[in-house]
Amino acid sequence: MEPALQITVDHHRCVGNGQCVSLAPAVFAHNEAVQSVVHDPSGAPEAVVLKAARFCPTGAIRVADAAGRLLFPPENAP
Amino acid sequence: MTPPDEDLFAPEVIADPYTYFGRLRETDPVHWNPVSSLWIITRHEDLTWLVRHHELFSSAVIRNDPRPPYPPIEAGHQPLFEAVRTFRADQLVEQDRPGHLAMRNAVHEYFTPTAMESWRPFVRRAVADLLDEAAPAGGMEVLTTLAAPLPVRIITEMMGVPNDDREHLRALADKLLYINRGEPNRMAPLMEGISGMIDYVAPKVDIRAREPANDFISVLARAEQEGVFTRHQVLVNTALLLFAGHETTMNLICNGTLALLRHPDAWRSLVTDPEGLARQATEECLRYDPPVKSTQRIAAVDVERRGKTIRKGDRIRWIMAAANRDPRVFPDPDRFDLTRQPNLHVSFGAGIHYCLGAALARIEGQEVFRALAERFPSLRLAGGPLEYQPSIQFRSLKALPVTW
Repeated sequence: MEPALQITVDHHRCVGNGQCVSLAPAVFAHNEAVQSVVHDPSGAPEAVVLKAARFCPTGAIRVADAAGRLLFPPENAP
Repeated sequence: MTPPDEDLFAPEVIADPYTYFGRLRETDPVHWNPVSSLWIITRHEDLTWLVRHHELFSSAVIRNDPRPPYPPIEAGHQPLFEAVRTFRADQLVEQDRPGHLAMRNAVHEYFTPTAMESWRPFVRRAVADLLDEAAPAGGMEVLTTLAAPLPVRIITEMMGVPNDDREHLRALADKLLYINRGEPNRMAPLMEGISGMIDYVAPKVDIRAREPANDFISVLARAEQEGVFTRHQVLVNTALLLFAGHETTMNLICNGTLALLRHPDAWRSLVTDPEGLARQATEECLRYDPPVKSTQRIAAVDVERRGKTIRKGDRIRWIMAAANRDPRVFPDPDRFDLTRQPNLHVSFGAGIHYCLGAALARIEGQEVFRALAERFPSLRLAGGPLEYQPSIQFRSLKALPVTW
Protein backbone atom coordinates (compact mmCIF):
# COMPACT_ATOMS: atom_id res chain seq x y z
CA MET A 1 0.00 0.00 0.00
CA GLU A 2 1.20 3.48 -0.84
CA PRO A 3 1.97 5.87 2.01
CA ALA A 4 -0.93 8.14 2.84
CA LEU A 5 -1.33 11.63 1.44
CA GLN A 6 -1.29 14.54 3.87
CA ILE A 7 -4.62 16.29 3.41
CA THR A 8 -5.77 19.33 5.39
CA VAL A 9 -8.95 21.40 5.23
CA ASP A 10 -8.79 25.06 6.28
CA HIS A 11 -11.98 25.72 8.24
CA HIS A 12 -11.60 29.47 7.83
CA ARG A 13 -12.19 28.81 4.14
CA CYS A 14 -14.45 25.74 4.02
CA VAL A 15 -18.07 26.74 3.32
CA GLY A 16 -19.61 23.27 3.18
CA ASN A 17 -20.08 23.26 -0.59
CA GLY A 18 -19.74 19.47 -0.51
CA GLN A 19 -17.84 18.92 -3.75
CA CYS A 20 -15.07 17.03 -1.94
CA VAL A 21 -17.56 14.84 -0.10
CA SER A 22 -19.43 13.96 -3.28
CA LEU A 23 -16.23 13.30 -5.29
CA ALA A 24 -14.33 11.34 -2.59
CA PRO A 25 -16.83 10.22 0.06
CA ALA A 26 -14.38 7.78 1.67
CA VAL A 27 -11.81 10.55 2.15
CA PHE A 28 -13.91 13.54 3.18
CA ALA A 29 -16.90 13.81 5.49
CA HIS A 30 -18.90 16.71 6.87
CA ASN A 31 -18.77 17.43 10.60
CA GLU A 32 -21.69 18.78 12.64
CA ALA A 33 -21.03 22.29 11.36
CA VAL A 34 -21.21 20.92 7.79
CA GLN A 35 -17.54 21.61 7.23
CA SER A 36 -15.29 19.07 5.58
CA VAL A 37 -12.97 16.89 7.67
CA VAL A 38 -10.52 14.25 6.47
CA HIS A 39 -11.92 10.85 7.30
CA ASP A 40 -9.46 8.53 5.50
CA PRO A 41 -6.57 10.02 3.47
CA SER A 42 -6.11 6.65 1.71
CA GLY A 43 -9.78 6.33 0.79
CA ALA A 44 -9.35 7.28 -2.87
CA PRO A 45 -6.61 7.33 -5.51
CA GLU A 46 -4.35 10.39 -5.49
CA ALA A 47 -5.90 11.71 -8.72
CA VAL A 48 -9.36 11.73 -7.14
CA VAL A 49 -8.12 13.52 -4.03
CA LEU A 50 -6.41 16.13 -6.19
CA LYS A 51 -9.59 16.60 -8.20
CA ALA A 52 -11.55 17.10 -4.96
CA ALA A 53 -9.00 19.72 -3.88
CA ARG A 54 -9.18 21.48 -7.22
CA PHE A 55 -13.00 21.48 -7.13
CA CYS A 56 -13.11 23.21 -3.74
CA PRO A 57 -14.65 26.61 -4.57
CA THR A 58 -12.70 28.37 -1.83
CA GLY A 59 -9.34 26.58 -2.10
CA ALA A 60 -9.69 25.18 1.41
CA ILE A 61 -8.02 21.82 0.69
CA ARG A 62 -4.27 21.34 0.74
CA VAL A 63 -2.69 18.08 -0.38
CA ALA A 64 0.92 16.96 0.14
CA ASP A 65 2.55 13.61 -0.46
CA ALA A 66 3.80 11.42 2.38
CA ALA A 67 7.14 13.26 2.32
CA GLY A 68 5.38 16.61 2.71
CA ARG A 69 5.88 17.78 -0.88
CA LEU A 70 3.00 20.07 -1.83
CA LEU A 71 0.77 18.62 -4.58
CA PHE A 72 -2.11 21.14 -4.39
CA PRO A 73 -2.54 24.08 -4.59
CA PRO A 74 0.15 24.98 -7.12
CA GLU A 75 2.99 26.92 -5.49
CA ASN A 76 2.02 30.25 -7.05
CA ALA A 77 -1.69 30.03 -6.17
CA PRO A 78 -3.35 32.69 -4.00
CA MET B 1 -34.25 53.24 12.83
CA THR B 2 -37.02 50.68 12.83
CA PRO B 3 -39.76 51.34 10.33
CA PRO B 4 -42.91 51.22 12.47
CA ASP B 5 -44.75 49.11 9.90
CA GLU B 6 -41.80 46.73 9.31
CA ASP B 7 -41.74 47.65 5.62
CA LEU B 8 -38.53 46.11 4.30
CA PHE B 9 -38.73 48.42 1.28
CA ALA B 10 -38.97 51.60 3.40
CA PRO B 11 -36.66 54.25 1.92
CA GLU B 12 -34.54 54.41 5.09
CA VAL B 13 -33.98 50.62 5.03
CA ILE B 14 -33.06 50.67 1.33
CA ALA B 15 -30.64 53.56 1.95
CA ASP B 16 -29.13 51.97 5.09
CA PRO B 17 -29.90 48.29 5.68
CA TYR B 18 -27.24 48.04 8.39
CA THR B 19 -29.03 49.95 11.13
CA TYR B 20 -32.37 48.16 10.85
CA PHE B 21 -31.09 44.62 10.26
CA GLY B 22 -28.28 45.19 12.77
CA ARG B 23 -30.85 45.99 15.44
CA LEU B 24 -32.79 42.83 14.59
CA ARG B 25 -29.55 40.84 14.85
CA GLU B 26 -29.04 42.09 18.42
CA THR B 27 -32.64 42.03 19.67
CA ASP B 28 -34.54 39.34 17.76
CA PRO B 29 -32.18 37.30 15.54
CA VAL B 30 -34.92 34.92 14.34
CA HIS B 31 -37.59 37.50 13.57
CA TRP B 32 -41.03 37.06 12.04
CA ASN B 33 -41.89 39.97 9.74
CA PRO B 34 -45.68 40.14 9.47
CA VAL B 35 -45.72 42.58 6.55
CA SER B 36 -43.67 40.43 4.17
CA SER B 37 -44.77 37.18 5.90
CA LEU B 38 -41.30 35.79 6.31
CA TRP B 39 -38.62 35.02 8.89
CA ILE B 40 -35.56 37.25 8.98
CA ILE B 41 -32.27 35.63 10.00
CA THR B 42 -29.45 38.01 10.84
CA ARG B 43 -26.74 36.37 13.00
CA HIS B 44 -23.64 34.91 11.37
CA GLU B 45 -23.95 31.62 13.28
CA ASP B 46 -27.63 31.17 12.37
CA LEU B 47 -27.07 32.12 8.77
CA THR B 48 -24.24 29.66 8.16
CA TRP B 49 -26.24 26.93 9.93
CA LEU B 50 -29.28 27.62 7.76
CA VAL B 51 -27.44 27.82 4.46
CA ARG B 52 -25.38 24.68 5.07
CA HIS B 53 -28.48 22.61 5.90
CA HIS B 54 -30.04 22.34 2.47
CA GLU B 55 -32.05 19.32 3.65
CA LEU B 56 -33.91 21.60 6.08
CA PHE B 57 -34.27 24.65 3.84
CA SER B 58 -35.36 24.45 0.20
CA SER B 59 -34.09 26.74 -2.53
CA ALA B 60 -37.20 26.24 -4.69
CA VAL B 61 -38.47 29.65 -3.69
CA ILE B 62 -39.82 31.24 -6.85
CA ARG B 63 -42.22 28.48 -7.86
CA ASN B 64 -43.52 28.24 -4.29
CA ASP B 65 -43.98 31.94 -3.68
CA PRO B 66 -47.68 32.89 -3.82
CA ARG B 67 -47.15 36.61 -3.27
CA PRO B 68 -47.89 39.18 -5.95
CA PRO B 69 -44.86 41.00 -7.35
CA TYR B 70 -43.49 43.77 -5.16
CA PRO B 71 -43.08 46.63 -5.86
CA PRO B 72 -46.40 46.28 -7.78
CA ILE B 73 -46.43 45.90 -11.55
CA GLU B 74 -48.71 47.41 -14.17
CA ALA B 75 -52.21 46.06 -14.52
CA GLY B 76 -52.25 43.55 -17.35
CA HIS B 77 -48.63 42.48 -16.83
CA GLN B 78 -49.55 39.48 -14.65
CA PRO B 79 -49.12 37.00 -17.57
CA LEU B 80 -45.65 38.42 -18.17
CA PHE B 81 -44.87 37.96 -14.49
CA GLU B 82 -46.03 34.33 -14.65
CA ALA B 83 -43.88 33.71 -17.73
CA VAL B 84 -40.84 35.20 -15.96
CA ARG B 85 -41.59 33.01 -12.96
CA THR B 86 -41.74 29.82 -15.05
CA PHE B 87 -38.46 30.80 -16.62
CA ARG B 88 -36.70 31.59 -13.35
CA ALA B 89 -37.94 28.42 -11.61
CA ASP B 90 -35.60 26.44 -13.90
CA GLN B 91 -32.51 28.32 -12.70
CA LEU B 92 -29.79 26.27 -11.03
CA VAL B 93 -30.11 28.42 -7.89
CA GLU B 94 -33.76 27.34 -7.55
CA GLN B 95 -33.05 23.59 -7.49
CA ASP B 96 -32.79 21.23 -4.53
CA ARG B 97 -30.96 17.93 -4.26
CA PRO B 98 -30.90 15.40 -5.73
CA GLY B 99 -31.49 17.26 -9.01
CA HIS B 100 -29.20 20.11 -8.04
CA LEU B 101 -26.16 17.89 -7.49
CA ALA B 102 -25.90 16.62 -11.07
CA MET B 103 -26.59 20.09 -12.47
CA ARG B 104 -24.03 21.78 -10.26
CA ASN B 105 -21.46 19.09 -11.03
CA ALA B 106 -21.94 19.66 -14.75
CA VAL B 107 -20.98 23.33 -14.53
CA HIS B 108 -18.80 23.41 -11.40
CA GLU B 109 -15.48 22.54 -13.03
CA TYR B 110 -15.70 25.49 -15.41
CA PHE B 111 -15.73 27.88 -12.42
CA THR B 112 -13.12 26.43 -10.03
CA PRO B 113 -10.57 28.92 -8.63
CA THR B 114 -7.84 27.25 -10.70
CA ALA B 115 -9.87 27.53 -13.90
CA MET B 116 -10.87 31.14 -13.20
CA GLU B 117 -7.27 32.14 -12.47
CA SER B 118 -6.53 31.52 -16.15
CA TRP B 119 -9.02 34.34 -16.93
CA ARG B 120 -7.13 36.92 -14.86
CA PRO B 121 -5.08 38.26 -17.80
CA PHE B 122 -8.28 38.76 -19.83
CA VAL B 123 -9.94 40.54 -16.91
CA ARG B 124 -6.90 42.74 -16.38
CA ARG B 125 -6.84 43.74 -20.03
CA ALA B 126 -10.58 44.45 -20.07
CA VAL B 127 -10.24 46.70 -17.01
CA ALA B 128 -7.29 48.53 -18.58
CA ASP B 129 -9.21 49.06 -21.84
CA LEU B 130 -12.21 50.53 -20.03
CA LEU B 131 -10.03 52.81 -17.91
CA ASP B 132 -8.08 53.90 -21.03
CA GLU B 133 -11.36 55.02 -22.57
CA ALA B 134 -12.38 56.83 -19.38
CA ALA B 135 -9.06 58.47 -18.49
CA PRO B 136 -9.12 61.62 -20.67
CA ALA B 137 -12.40 62.85 -19.16
CA GLY B 138 -10.90 63.35 -15.69
CA GLY B 139 -13.86 61.64 -14.07
CA MET B 140 -16.49 58.99 -14.68
CA GLU B 141 -19.75 57.53 -13.57
CA VAL B 142 -18.44 54.20 -12.27
CA LEU B 143 -21.54 52.11 -12.97
CA THR B 144 -22.00 52.86 -16.67
CA THR B 145 -18.32 53.37 -17.50
CA LEU B 146 -16.73 50.43 -15.71
CA ALA B 147 -18.90 48.30 -13.42
CA ALA B 148 -21.65 47.39 -15.92
CA PRO B 149 -19.61 46.83 -19.11
CA LEU B 150 -16.78 44.85 -17.50
CA PRO B 151 -18.72 41.72 -16.44
CA VAL B 152 -20.68 41.66 -19.71
CA ARG B 153 -17.41 41.71 -21.65
CA ILE B 154 -16.11 38.79 -19.60
CA ILE B 155 -19.27 36.68 -19.61
CA THR B 156 -19.87 37.09 -23.33
CA GLU B 157 -16.27 35.97 -23.89
CA MET B 158 -16.96 32.92 -21.71
CA MET B 159 -20.09 32.23 -23.75
CA GLY B 160 -18.03 32.39 -26.94
CA VAL B 161 -19.99 35.31 -28.37
CA PRO B 162 -18.35 36.73 -31.51
CA ASN B 163 -17.40 40.42 -31.48
CA ASP B 164 -20.17 41.40 -33.87
CA ASP B 165 -22.80 40.18 -31.41
CA ARG B 166 -21.39 41.93 -28.34
CA GLU B 167 -23.64 44.99 -28.55
CA HIS B 168 -26.73 42.83 -28.96
CA LEU B 169 -25.81 40.78 -25.88
CA ARG B 170 -25.05 43.91 -23.92
CA ALA B 171 -28.51 45.27 -24.72
CA LEU B 172 -30.05 41.97 -23.59
CA ALA B 173 -27.96 42.00 -20.41
CA ASP B 174 -29.26 45.50 -19.62
CA LYS B 175 -32.84 44.24 -20.00
CA LEU B 176 -32.21 41.28 -17.69
CA LEU B 177 -31.24 43.77 -14.98
CA TYR B 178 -34.96 44.58 -14.66
CA ILE B 179 -35.19 41.46 -12.45
CA ASN B 180 -33.92 43.79 -9.73
CA ARG B 181 -35.84 46.98 -10.53
CA GLY B 182 -38.91 48.63 -9.08
CA GLU B 183 -40.55 50.27 -12.09
CA PRO B 184 -44.19 49.17 -12.60
CA ASN B 185 -43.54 48.35 -16.28
CA ARG B 186 -40.37 46.34 -15.58
CA MET B 187 -41.83 42.97 -16.68
CA ALA B 188 -41.90 44.14 -20.32
CA PRO B 189 -38.16 44.82 -20.79
CA LEU B 190 -37.31 41.84 -18.60
CA MET B 191 -39.34 39.49 -20.81
CA GLU B 192 -37.71 41.05 -23.90
CA GLY B 193 -34.33 40.26 -22.36
CA ILE B 194 -35.31 36.68 -21.57
CA SER B 195 -36.87 36.02 -24.99
CA GLY B 196 -33.92 37.65 -26.69
CA MET B 197 -31.51 35.40 -24.80
CA ILE B 198 -33.51 32.29 -25.70
CA ASP B 199 -33.60 33.27 -29.38
CA TYR B 200 -29.90 34.04 -29.40
CA VAL B 201 -28.60 31.08 -27.42
CA ALA B 202 -30.79 28.23 -28.74
CA PRO B 203 -29.08 27.91 -32.16
CA LYS B 204 -25.65 28.27 -30.47
CA VAL B 205 -26.45 25.27 -28.29
CA ASP B 206 -27.20 23.18 -31.39
CA ILE B 207 -23.89 24.22 -32.93
CA ARG B 208 -21.94 23.51 -29.74
CA ALA B 209 -23.62 20.12 -29.34
CA ARG B 210 -22.10 19.17 -32.71
CA GLU B 211 -18.84 21.09 -32.43
CA PRO B 212 -17.83 21.53 -28.79
CA ALA B 213 -15.52 24.43 -28.02
CA ASN B 214 -13.89 25.80 -24.90
CA ASP B 215 -16.86 27.91 -23.84
CA PHE B 216 -19.65 27.81 -21.31
CA ILE B 217 -22.37 27.03 -23.85
CA SER B 218 -20.43 23.90 -24.84
CA VAL B 219 -20.43 22.83 -21.19
CA LEU B 220 -24.21 23.18 -21.03
CA ALA B 221 -24.72 21.54 -24.44
CA ARG B 222 -22.79 18.51 -23.22
CA ALA B 223 -24.83 18.42 -20.01
CA GLU B 224 -27.98 18.42 -22.12
CA GLN B 225 -26.68 15.51 -24.21
CA GLU B 226 -25.96 13.64 -20.98
CA GLY B 227 -29.52 14.22 -19.81
CA VAL B 228 -28.57 16.45 -16.87
CA PHE B 229 -30.18 19.62 -18.25
CA THR B 230 -33.29 20.00 -20.38
CA ARG B 231 -33.03 22.43 -23.30
CA HIS B 232 -35.12 24.90 -21.35
CA GLN B 233 -32.72 24.64 -18.42
CA VAL B 234 -29.75 25.20 -20.73
CA LEU B 235 -31.29 28.41 -22.04
CA VAL B 236 -32.43 29.60 -18.63
CA ASN B 237 -29.05 29.03 -17.04
CA THR B 238 -27.15 30.77 -19.80
CA ALA B 239 -29.33 33.80 -19.13
CA LEU B 240 -28.81 33.32 -15.40
CA LEU B 241 -25.07 33.39 -15.89
CA LEU B 242 -25.34 36.65 -17.78
CA PHE B 243 -27.63 38.23 -15.17
CA ALA B 244 -26.02 36.84 -12.01
CA GLY B 245 -22.53 37.77 -13.11
CA HIS B 246 -23.65 41.22 -14.24
CA GLU B 247 -25.76 42.57 -11.38
CA THR B 248 -23.53 41.27 -8.59
CA THR B 249 -20.24 42.37 -10.15
CA MET B 250 -21.68 45.83 -10.79
CA ASN B 251 -22.52 46.06 -7.11
CA LEU B 252 -19.15 44.74 -5.95
CA ILE B 253 -17.33 47.35 -8.03
CA CYS B 254 -19.60 50.28 -7.10
CA ASN B 255 -20.04 49.43 -3.41
CA GLY B 256 -16.36 48.59 -3.04
CA THR B 257 -15.21 51.79 -4.73
CA LEU B 258 -17.57 53.79 -2.54
CA ALA B 259 -16.31 52.12 0.64
CA LEU B 260 -12.68 52.67 -0.33
CA LEU B 261 -13.24 56.34 -1.14
CA ARG B 262 -15.22 56.95 2.05
CA HIS B 263 -12.28 55.62 4.07
CA PRO B 264 -9.27 57.71 3.00
CA ASP B 265 -6.83 55.79 5.20
CA ALA B 266 -7.80 52.53 3.54
CA TRP B 267 -7.61 54.12 0.09
CA ARG B 268 -4.13 55.49 0.84
CA SER B 269 -2.98 52.03 1.96
CA LEU B 270 -4.25 50.51 -1.26
CA VAL B 271 -2.58 53.22 -3.34
CA THR B 272 0.70 52.50 -1.53
CA ASP B 273 0.53 48.76 -2.30
CA PRO B 274 -2.15 48.00 -4.90
CA GLU B 275 -0.90 44.57 -5.82
CA GLY B 276 -0.24 43.45 -2.27
CA LEU B 277 -3.55 44.66 -0.84
CA ALA B 278 -5.97 44.03 -3.73
CA ARG B 279 -6.95 40.63 -2.40
CA GLN B 280 -7.71 41.70 1.17
CA ALA B 281 -9.34 44.91 -0.03
CA THR B 282 -11.73 42.89 -2.18
CA GLU B 283 -12.65 40.61 0.74
CA GLU B 284 -13.30 43.60 3.00
CA CYS B 285 -15.39 45.32 0.31
CA LEU B 286 -17.39 42.11 -0.03
CA ARG B 287 -17.94 42.01 3.75
CA TYR B 288 -18.58 45.67 4.42
CA ASP B 289 -21.22 46.41 1.77
CA PRO B 290 -22.05 43.12 0.01
CA PRO B 291 -23.43 43.00 -3.57
CA VAL B 292 -26.25 40.73 -2.39
CA LYS B 293 -27.86 41.84 0.86
CA SER B 294 -30.09 38.84 1.36
CA THR B 295 -31.42 35.64 -0.18
CA GLN B 296 -34.41 33.38 0.45
CA ARG B 297 -35.20 29.83 1.44
CA ILE B 298 -38.38 27.91 2.29
CA ALA B 299 -38.44 25.59 5.30
CA ALA B 300 -38.65 21.96 4.12
CA VAL B 301 -39.59 20.72 7.61
CA ASP B 302 -40.54 22.23 10.97
CA VAL B 303 -37.36 23.63 12.55
CA GLU B 304 -36.65 25.12 16.01
CA ARG B 305 -34.15 27.96 16.33
CA ARG B 306 -33.61 30.27 19.29
CA GLY B 307 -36.94 29.31 20.83
CA LYS B 308 -38.93 30.01 17.66
CA THR B 309 -40.65 27.39 15.53
CA ILE B 310 -40.17 27.82 11.80
CA ARG B 311 -42.94 25.79 10.16
CA LYS B 312 -42.60 23.74 7.00
CA GLY B 313 -43.44 26.02 4.09
CA ASP B 314 -42.49 29.25 5.90
CA ARG B 315 -40.41 31.65 3.88
CA ILE B 316 -37.08 32.82 5.27
CA ARG B 317 -34.85 35.71 4.27
CA TRP B 318 -31.26 35.55 5.48
CA ILE B 319 -29.44 38.83 5.61
CA MET B 320 -25.78 38.58 4.66
CA ALA B 321 -25.43 42.33 5.17
CA ALA B 322 -26.32 41.84 8.86
CA ALA B 323 -24.27 38.65 9.42
CA ASN B 324 -21.22 40.38 7.91
CA ARG B 325 -21.41 42.96 10.73
CA ASP B 326 -21.98 40.44 13.53
CA PRO B 327 -19.72 41.51 16.44
CA ARG B 328 -19.56 37.87 17.62
CA VAL B 329 -17.45 37.09 14.53
CA PHE B 330 -15.96 40.42 13.42
CA PRO B 331 -14.17 42.64 15.96
CA ASP B 332 -15.25 46.27 15.50
CA PRO B 333 -17.60 45.16 12.71
CA ASP B 334 -18.61 48.60 11.43
CA ARG B 335 -14.98 49.52 10.80
CA PHE B 336 -13.77 49.16 7.20
CA ASP B 337 -10.44 47.42 7.73
CA LEU B 338 -8.27 46.09 4.91
CA THR B 339 -6.13 44.12 7.38
CA ARG B 340 -9.03 42.03 8.72
CA GLN B 341 -7.82 38.43 9.00
CA PRO B 342 -9.52 36.01 8.82
CA ASN B 343 -12.41 37.63 7.00
CA LEU B 344 -15.27 35.14 7.36
CA HIS B 345 -17.87 37.12 5.42
CA VAL B 346 -20.84 35.26 3.97
CA SER B 347 -21.30 37.41 0.88
CA PHE B 348 -21.15 34.39 -1.45
CA GLY B 349 -23.46 32.33 0.77
CA ALA B 350 -22.36 28.85 1.84
CA GLY B 351 -23.33 25.21 1.45
CA ILE B 352 -24.26 23.50 -1.80
CA HIS B 353 -25.38 26.75 -3.44
CA TYR B 354 -22.18 28.68 -2.62
CA CYS B 355 -21.84 31.23 -5.42
CA LEU B 356 -20.69 29.44 -8.57
CA GLY B 357 -19.00 32.62 -9.79
CA ALA B 358 -17.22 33.50 -6.54
CA ALA B 359 -13.70 32.92 -7.86
CA LEU B 360 -14.40 35.05 -10.93
CA ALA B 361 -16.01 37.81 -8.84
CA ARG B 362 -12.95 37.90 -6.61
CA ILE B 363 -10.63 38.27 -9.61
CA GLU B 364 -12.80 41.04 -11.07
CA GLY B 365 -12.80 42.92 -7.75
CA GLN B 366 -9.06 42.48 -7.27
CA GLU B 367 -8.23 43.66 -10.77
CA VAL B 368 -10.57 46.66 -10.62
CA PHE B 369 -9.50 47.96 -7.19
CA ARG B 370 -5.85 47.40 -8.02
CA ALA B 371 -6.15 49.22 -11.35
CA LEU B 372 -8.08 52.15 -9.85
CA ALA B 373 -5.45 52.61 -7.14
CA GLU B 374 -2.58 52.36 -9.63
CA ARG B 375 -4.00 54.68 -12.25
CA PHE B 376 -6.03 57.18 -10.27
CA PRO B 377 -4.41 57.63 -6.84
CA SER B 378 -6.27 60.93 -6.44
CA LEU B 379 -9.64 59.24 -7.03
CA ARG B 380 -12.47 60.82 -5.00
CA LEU B 381 -16.25 60.96 -4.88
CA ALA B 382 -17.75 63.64 -7.10
CA GLY B 383 -20.49 64.37 -4.58
CA GLY B 384 -24.23 64.40 -4.89
CA PRO B 385 -26.77 62.12 -3.25
CA LEU B 386 -26.39 58.36 -3.72
CA GLU B 387 -29.48 56.31 -4.46
CA TYR B 388 -30.08 52.56 -4.39
CA GLN B 389 -32.46 50.36 -6.38
CA PRO B 390 -35.55 49.48 -4.32
CA SER B 391 -34.48 45.86 -3.83
CA ILE B 392 -34.29 43.79 -0.67
CA GLN B 393 -32.01 41.27 -2.38
CA PHE B 394 -29.38 43.39 -4.13
CA ARG B 395 -27.40 46.36 -2.85
CA SER B 396 -27.36 48.27 -6.12
CA LEU B 397 -26.28 51.88 -6.49
CA LYS B 398 -28.06 53.71 -9.30
CA ALA B 399 -24.93 55.73 -10.09
CA LEU B 400 -21.52 56.54 -8.59
CA PRO B 401 -19.79 59.64 -10.00
CA VAL B 402 -16.06 60.02 -9.24
CA THR B 403 -13.25 62.33 -10.33
CA TRP B 404 -9.46 62.20 -10.24
